Amino acid sequence: MASHTRKAFLCLGRINASGLGLQRPASRVSYATDKPINSSAGNKGFPDRGGRGFVRRPRRPVGEPRTEKMPVDQDWTAVYPAATPFRPNSVPLPLRMGYPVKGGVPPEKKGNLELMKIPNFLHLTPAAIKKHCEALKPFCTEWPSALDTDATCDEHFPIKVDGTDYVSAGPSVRNPSARVVHLKVKLSSLNLDDHASKKMLKLVGNRYCKDTDIITIKADSCPLRQQNHDYAMYLLTVLYHESWKTEAWEAEKAVADMEEYSWEDSPSQRNILDALVRMKAAGEGEGEEVREQLLGRREVQEYKDSVTRLKNEGESESSMLQYKEAVKKVLNL
Amino acid sequence: MAAPMALRRQLFDLTRILGGISHLGPRAVGACSGHRPCNIIRSRLPLASSTSFHTTTVFSSTPSSITVTEEADTLFQKVSLLVKGHDRSVLDSYELFATMAAKELNITINEVHEHPKDMDRFTLLKSVHIFKNHRVQYEMRTHYRCIELSHITGCTAQVYLEYVQRNLPEGVAMAVTKTAMEKVPDHILEPMWEDHPIDDKLSQ
Repeated sequence: MASHTRKAFLCLGRINASGLGLQRPASRVSYATDKPINSSAGNKGFPDRGGRGFVRRPRRPVGEPRTEKMPVDQDWTAVYPAATPFRPNSVPLPLRMGYPVKGGVPPEKKGNLELMKIPNFLHLTPAAIKKHCEALKPFCTEWPSALDTDATCDEHFPIKVDGTDYVSAGPSVRNPSARVVHLKVKLSSLNLDDHASKKMLKLVGNRYCKDTDIITIKADSCPLRQQNHDYAMYLLTVLYHESWKTEAWEAEKAVADMEEYSWEDSPSQRNILDALVRMKAAGEGEGEEVREQLLGRREVQEYKDSVTRLKNEGESESSMLQYKEAVKKVLNL
Repeated sequence: MAAPMALRRQLFDLTRILGGISHLGPRAVGACSGHRPCNIIRSRLPLASSTSFHTTTVFSSTPSSITVTEEADTLFQKVSLLVKGHDRSVLDSYELFATMAAKELNITINEVHEHPKDMDRFTLLKSVHIFKNHRVQYEMRTHYRCIELSHITGCTAQVYLEYVQRNLPEGVAMAVTKTAMEKVPDHILEPMWEDHPIDDKLSQ
């Protein structure tokens, strides 16, 4: 499948070459399947049986470089259709590369090893890229126009699955890190009620990030990415359904297990009510109605809010100030 | 939930392909945000293609077909290419190539940035035997380039990544991180239990 696109643009290069009429002889560019031009098999440098010494094959005179014959408006994609090493006689540019001789200039391109060593992008000129992309466009699809913002994407497609591919040169194309899959989902996008979401958080533990409200499940125990993906989805399914269940032992949930601080039935409530009752002293008797009446008072409610805020959010300037104001009001200071 | 349309087309004329067939894009349901645009079609490259590189008669006789199936296309919210190499100018040229290719294929480029280079240094003894006071130091420099693309479909991502990876220069490595978006599967939409507050049998 991959070779098709490659052949497509290589063939593209050749088609354009033939379209121009080929001002230069095609036999200059030799491929492995071409028949050998030189049919003199016997004269390859071995001496004749009778002759003395070394009879070297007479060398062809070196012709002028191809760059002399290149027209200015030629099709460069035909000269360099694929990634090839640098050929000084095929590149009509006055390039110089290397460390300059003392008092001189960097060496020229003829016989320059530095230019040959570095990977060149002569086959990827903007014209070539445009041609390649034109051939590749039919295989692409458009992004749906309705999903233009991240918010709409999150709303319709809340589950994000991360996978990584690695490309590098080496004895093997495989990379074991490519099997790792991260599954990220926002807690608010799942259909959970209050008890279920709290239980889900307890089940998930430190895979939950409070700031972004995202649960991240990392699956890397299976050897293939598809398997890890399926396992992560299975884990999510199990978590979801288990969190909706209410077990018998959940009724034994103690104050220490609570996720948030609640003021009702807490030592703080008892203390403030005791203090207020003692302040009232004389007239009214002890009783539940007195306590309830005290609870209904506005200052007590404010005190309750400030204490809850302190416990849940931690200490900060504003929360301490709020607590101070509430205490002053409640105790009539 | 609208069902995906069943489309099947065969294109046998390659010149039509090169002419730029723009109607291969998805027949998306309108811009209504309530519907999920689900009838995105995927075009698969043909497996049986007999175009050979070395033959002189290239195009005219071999048909090439683009098949369109009703399988839903994957949607990638973000595709991040991290390229690593020893030579910064090679990465510069490669970035130019990758960004230009993305522009030609109408892929939105989020950001292109360069991570600071890593220097791997170590000190070795200069001589084979003794002479501990004479050392030689080597270092390996790894330069990075990160190209982030957003909002790509699975087909486009496949095409683009393959093109860009085939033209990866020597001595350069790449890591591609793809973030695919998926809908909540049907079995997670509703809890499967009946309204039992306490479920002893299933807690075994």
